[in-house]
Amino acid sequence: MDVRIITDGQDFASRIAQMFETVIHEGHGSLALVFLIGIIFGGIIQYTRVDKFEKIAGFSMLKDTIVPKMLFLAVGLTSIGLYFMVEAGWAHYHIKPVIWQGLLIGGTLFGISMAIMGKCPGTGPVSIAEGRIDVLVGAIGGLFGGLVFTLYYDDFFKALMGKSLGKLTLPQFFQGHEHIVVLIFGVVVSLIAIVIPKIEMFDEADLSQLPEDERPDRQ
Amino acid sequence: MSRLPWWTGGILMSGLLLLTFSVFGADRPIGASTYVPYFAGLVFDLSPEKYSYLKEIQNPGAWEGVMLLGALFGGFVTSVFITKSFRISLIPTGWKKYKNNSVLSRLLWSFVSGFFMIIGARLAGGCTSGHFMSGMSQMAISSMIFGTVVMIALVITGKFFYNTKEK
Repeated sequence: MDVRIITDGQDFASRIAQMFETVIHEGHGSLALVFLIGIIFGGIIQYTRVDKFEKIAGFSMLKDTIVPKMLFLAVGLTSIGLYFMVEAGWAHYHIKPVIWQGLLIGGTLFGISMAIMGKCPGTGPVSIAEGRIDVLVGAIGGLFGGLVFTLYYDDFFKALMGKSLGKLTLPQFFQGHEHIVVLIFGVVVSLIAIVIPKIEMFDEADLSQLPEDERPDRQ
Repeated sequence: MSRLPWWTGGILMSGLLLLTFSVFGADRPIGASTYVPYFAGLVFDLSPEKYSYLKEIQNPGAWEGVMLLGALFGGFVTSVFITKSFRISLIPTGWKKYKNNSVLSRLLWSFVSGFFMIIGARLAGGCTSGHFMSGMSQMAISSMIFGTVVMIALVITGKFFYNTKEK
């Protein structure tokens, strides 16, 4: 199917249309599929409530462990599944390079900000979708962060990130034993998810909207 | 049931990651921070020809931009019809309990942390989705470094930023 959209304009609407056009032509799934992946992504985050301030900032205070439990389980299961999919030729690895300075400075800034905002770039939009104005203000801050990063990338940020040591992965250090390394990694990470004690911080403002027998804090 | 337990969420998220990675899906990882500088480029009308970073992220930025629109839609529908948590609010309950009652303080801190969160994510090359979930699933060393640094910074900040004693 040949999709033609008039995207030559310079106004904001045309620039949005150009975004859709880019996705249609870049070959990483159809436009509908990418949108659907987003819907499921937002749905899972919303349905498990990990977008809540009480879950993420709560984890920073060590008063809620749902986020790390869910993250570690997803990583453990996916690492095993993905390895066999790659072996079968059904998927590819897309490894991010080791850039020490970027990872250390960036990770520190990111961790501090995540504790204060109680969101990350994936959960933030889901919070905005459920009406959280404070997170919308945070997203506007983020937009300016993205602007500053773009404007000063060549002059400042690129040098700050430092040199890339290449796209290293754990199995590369155990040549010839890749299968067993992947299996151990996947099982250990999944076990970490199960072993982390389950602690929860609830938000009365949300729970009071639910019928008595559906409240997770009364079960 | 109006809340999914963590293990169901983990299994579903794993399924979504595998679908996205697979050649039958999108043949790429899930990421959720590249779209921010991409949107900044759209909003402030910056030309990718002039800014090398925009040129670099043109394809992943657009992909994540469309995915984000889906996430907004999915999050909205779920919050209205399933978790019934949709409401307009300016300050989280937990912030009132462990920080302060000031809306202005919350909004200012949100803005500042949002700003540095995106700078941090772009310096490291990913966020919770791109590095922690997608990256660690590929056993990437970079993502394990990122995950460790973020967890340490997160917990130290939580300890000093909030008043958690005797509550």
